[in-house]
Amino acid sequence: MNKNYLFLALLMIFLAAGLLFLPERHNYQQIKPQDLMWEAVQTTRYVTVDQVANMIIEGDPTLELVDVRDIDEYEKFSLKNAVNIPFDSLLCPNYQDYLGIEDMNVIFYGNDDIKADQAWMIARRMGYQNLYVMNGGLNSWIDCIIKPQRPEETASLSEFENYEFRKGASIYFTGSKIETSTNKSSVKVVRRKKGAAVAGGC
Amino acid sequence: MHVHELNPKRTVIAMVIFVVVIVVGLLTLTNPRLKYNVEPPQAITITTDFSSGVNAKEIDNLLSASTSPTILIDIRNHYEFARGHIASAINISAVELLNKENIKWLNELKEDQATVIIYGESHLQANSPWMVLQQLGFDNVTYLSGGYSNYMQFKNTKGENNEFATYEADKAKYNFAEIAKETLGSDVTNTSKKKHTIVKRKKKGKATAGGC
Repeated sequence: MNKNYLFLALLMIFLAAGLLFLPERHNYQQIKPQDLMWEAVQTTRYVTVDQVANMIIEGDPTLELVDVRDIDEYEKFSLKNAVNIPFDSLLCPNYQDYLGIEDMNVIFYGNDDIKADQAWMIARRMGYQNLYVMNGGLNSWIDCIIKPQRPEETASLSEFENYEFRKGASIYFTGSKIETSTNKSSVKVVRRKKGAAVAGGC
Repeated sequence: MHVHELNPKRTVIAMVIFVVVIVVGLLTLTNPRLKYNVEPPQAITITTDFSSGVNAKEIDNLLSASTSPTILIDIRNHYEFARGHIASAINISAVELLNKENIKWLNELKEDQATVIIYGESHLQANSPWMVLQQLGFDNVTYLSGGYSNYMQFKNTKGENNEFATYEADKAKYNFAEIAKETLGSDVTNTSKKKHTIVKRKKKGKATAGGC
């Protein structure tokens, strides 16, 4: 037998053995830290509650709302058609299907925007795309959509238009109420006092 | 008769080329400059702990205490920094923090066990850069809870407890279940109490005192 063949075979085995010592790699397609930091300082991932409300009302088929709060908080109150992925279990395999859907815009929200932003960061690091964060979270949702405040009289026209939209959205989400002014103008019936018996007889 | 035996050097040539390709491949394999030192599941457990930040009340004491070196980094832009910043803060943007020199500097600070505090205008602004640094393994980095705006609020109210509230991340401002009940009418509670109408009857007139 040729000695060279023997040597080649040994070399192959030696190199193959080297594979055993390769560091363990997970199947994450992570993006580079520099890129992650670059994206983290951009503000394009934030969507306002008005935009979200508009998307829900218009029935945007690409909208996917993800509630990152705990299950019990989610069960008490959540947005329409939102799925619940608690932040602690963001990486659980059974939730992964919600994130990687093509052409779907995932919008994270929490009580405010901190937890949602953290969820954004972890999911973005994992390489998922089309991820957004609802600015202000549910606190802002209640402030702006459910209980909109009438702007000052001196506010600009766009603020009034925005208010009109919010008021309409509020009716959409809470159901319209019949606003009857209940303070009936009470009619005071003044009766004439019965005439006292005419003083002084005849 | 084998073909190779015609030219016994062929196998040697093949062998040499094979080894050269592998060696060149290994040498040109560049190590990425920055690597995550924290796996994603770990990163989640680190960042869910909202108490890890420094709040506005503590920061002045922390900076004046000389027990451990503390570095304060302002990640806002130059204009905001020029308009006002916490004394002793250095202005470095979040992206610049990952420069070669700054990473080297951060590594030195980590070895010296110095605390690095980063802050932005709001809590949100510093939160994600902080998370990136944590994931790179800089576990000595923390953040100013509530950001510069909360700090200024503390300064302006001079920490009066009734006017100043320490920032709490991801805190529900409302009881959402209550609001849902109020506005969505999900829970119809019929609490209209029936009014008890007390029927007052006229007492039967006493027999007229004094007869005719």
